[in-house]
Parts: sequence; C-alpha cells; structure tokens
Amino acid sequence: MDQQGMVTKTADLNLEILLSHAIGDADALVALYRQAGHRAEGAGRTDEACFFFTQAYVYALEAGDAGRANALKATLISYGREQ
Amino acid sequence: MKPLDHTTLARVMGPVQQANGLPNGFYTDPEIFEAERKAVFEKTWSCIGFAHDVPGPGDAVPIDFLGKPLLMLRDREGSVRVFENVCRHRGMKLVDAPTRIKGVIRCPYHSWCYGLDGSLRATPHVGGVGQNTDPSVDRDLLGLFEVRSTEWMGIMFVNLSGDAPEFKEHAGPMIERWAEFDGKPLFHGGPGSSFSLTVNTNWKLAVENYCESYHLPWVHPGLNSYSKLEDHYNIVEEGAYSGQGTTVYNPQLDPSGHKFPDFEGLSDKWETAAEYVALYPNVLLGVHRDHTFAIHLDPVGVGTTVERVELFYTAEGVAGEDWASLRDKNAAAWREVFEEDIFVVEGMQQGRHSRSFDGGRFSPAMDEATHCFHKWIAERFAEA
Repeated sequence: MDQQGMVTKTADLNLEILLSHAIGDADALVALYRQAGHRAEGAGRTDEACFFFTQAYVYALEAGDAGRANALKATLISYGREQ
Repeated sequence: MKPLDHTTLARVMGPVQQANGLPNGFYTDPEIFEAERKAVFEKTWSCIGFAHDVPGPGDAVPIDFLGKPLLMLRDREGSVRVFENVCRHRGMKLVDAPTRIKGVIRCPYHSWCYGLDGSLRATPHVGGVGQNTDPSVDRDLLGLFEVRSTEWMGIMFVNLSGDAPEFKEHAGPMIERWAEFDGKPLFHGGPGSSFSLTVNTNWKLAVENYCESYHLPWVHPGLNSYSKLEDHYNIVEEGAYSGQGTTVYNPQLDPSGHKFPDFEGLSDKWETAAEYVALYPNVLLGVHRDHTFAIHLDPVGVGTTVERVELFYTAEGVAGEDWASLRDKNAAAWREVFEEDIFVVEGMQQGRHSRSFDGGRFSPAMDEATHCFHKWIAERFAEA
C-alpha cells in the first residue's frame, strides 16, 4: 500500500478483494472495488471500470453507506450504466 | 368416512347437542393438512410472530409459514412489514437468518438489491458487464411481493390470499370484547418472558384444549385450587373466537407483597376477572389486569405444533431489572400450566389415529367453545 492506504499493485488489489470477501468486510470491499474502478478508468477501460464501480456501489448500498453509494451511482449514471 | 364430504361437515356444524367433532383426518391426514393451509391459514388472518421480533429499524427475520418463505422486517419509519422472502430475479431466498439490515437487502445470488420498503434498488450487471439497466427489467414493477399484514396487541398477523375482510372486521368482535385493553401500550417482559414448547399434536387440539375450562380440576389441580371450575364461564362468539373466563384472578406477588402495576382505566370487572380466548385460527390470548400473554401456534406439521408463549406487561419499567424476579415467577407459573396440558393434547393426537373414533360427542354445557371452533373450521372447508 502507498501512504494514502491505496493498494499499489493490481495483483495485491485482487488479493485484498478476495480477502475482504472472505471475511465479509463490506467497507473494505467498497474502497477496494472503487479503487480498481478508478485504475481501469484511468487506463481507458470503461467496461471494466463500470464493473468495479458497480461492485463497489452494491456493497455501499448494502452497508447503508449513503455517501459513497450516491457518489458511485452518480459515476455510473455519467457512463450511462445506472438509472 | 370421507372427512371432507358435506354430510360430514354438516354434522360438525350442527347444534352442539347433536354435533360430532371434526373427523380424525383433520388431525392426521397430510392431504387435509395441505387443504387446511389454503382454506384456513391463507384465506384468513393468521399469526406469524410478534412485533418485538424486529425491535429496531432494519431488523429482519425469515419466517417459514407453512412452507411459504416470508420476511418480516421493521422499516426505517418504524412500521413492521412482511414480504415474500424471495428475489424477483431467479427466486432465490433472500434472508436465511435473523439480521439487522444496514442499507438494502442484497440477494446473495446475483446481488439484486431491495429497500426496506420492498422497492428494487439495484440490478447489477443486468444489461451486461458494468451495465446495470436493461429495457426489459423495469425496477418499478419488480419490487418484493408484500404480504398483507397487521399488528394487534404486539402480534403480527398476515393474510396470504390478500382477499380476507379487513383485520378490524375479522377480529372486530374480539377487539370489541376487550376494548378496555385495546390500544393500551404493551411491554414485552424480555427474554425470560418468552418460551416455546414443541408438542406432538395437531395445532387444533391446542386450540380446543385452551378454549375450555372443563379439564381444569383434572389437569390443573393447582390452578383449580384458587380459581375453581364453578368460577369459570364459556366465551363463545360464532365465527370469530371462543374461550373461557374466570371471575377469580389473583395477581402474582413478590416476597414483599408487591404486584405488577395494573393497566390504567379498567372497569371493576377486571379487578377479579381474567379471560382466555382463541382468536381463530392460531393465536391464544390471555388478559388480566396486570399482564397479557399470547401464544402463537405454529403448525409445523400435521402432528407437530410449536407453541410460542410471550408475556406482556403494562409499563416499560416492568421490563427492567427491578421486576425480573416477579416476571420470572409469572413466566414459570404459566409455563407449568402449559406444560401440564402437553400430555392431554398429545394423548388426543394419539387417539385421533383410532379406527372408530368419530370426532366425539360434546358436552353442551362445557364444550360450547370447542364446538364453536370446530364449526368455524368446518365452515372454512365448506366455503373452500
């Protein structure tokens, strides 16, 4: 991880996601999937980015994290992926 | 004998002096049990649990009601609602254990998400990877199936068929009888005021035994020692409820002579009276000046019933530590009474496998309440 708590390598990010699924850490899943989404977005891979943003959005909804859910929903709407 | 032919039903529905009880098949035949599910439990207002099962917003409990998966939850506004516990996508059961829902109900299969109001909030990847909408999936039309439900005296009732008269009509005579208790706040006594008994009997035998006082001197000699058979009266309201009342009720006292506070504003009748009534089909109620109880009869099988007993008090403070000892004493006293009934309802269930028993003969003086219940059941089948 870097100083902002971001997972720096893709392989590490995937591992973190798997670990968070294993322990049911919804808060971490929101953060990790969102980070993966931004990474794919930065690389111009929109479908992949929206996959990850969707994953983050669902876990934010489940956790009752309205702030992050609304932000992720807005991102997805901007890509025409959510209503 | 064909248990469901109209001649048989007419014999049950006749005057108590001539009537036979319900035939054996109503207690032992899985096919009739299945028919009963539709004719009795789905078509009317049935008890499925208690509002305090979901004390806070977001609390949710899955309920298996006669094989139907239901989900009872408390929404953000504080209302208890009941939904079918099934995702509108592929029919996956949504919630499989009691939980507190922080945000939405997420289906564990493909993560379609529902609000506590049942609305479909998210359909991830439904239009392809990262595409969460699809023209053929109209979220407004795909909310959870809500089940008609209502709360009364802390008890949750549902009408699965959706076409029963309003609950206030169904239970109107009962509500009217106990108008002095209706609307008064009830406070559940906490974990010690809750217990369940799994009994090897058909649920109807639990109703029948509860309805009548005839058995008290024989089965409950302790109870009968202060509230004697002659102190009791029959309670019969055709088509609605039946039970028994007593003119002698002595509140529980702690070692210092303290007793639970009474409900406010009761008439003089309740100084000494108590009443025990079966609100058809599957809830047994008791009211006293200082507490009430309700028994949810869960018909888990044709010959198996779970009796869930919950005790309620008149003030929030009674649920506190100061009253714990007296609450426990009261719960233990009722538990003893209800356990005394087990050999009777299980014995009648065994007797219902007799080749020759024809439903039995009623005592017109003592079994009026039981006959009222049999007649109500027979009417449900006759109408089906």
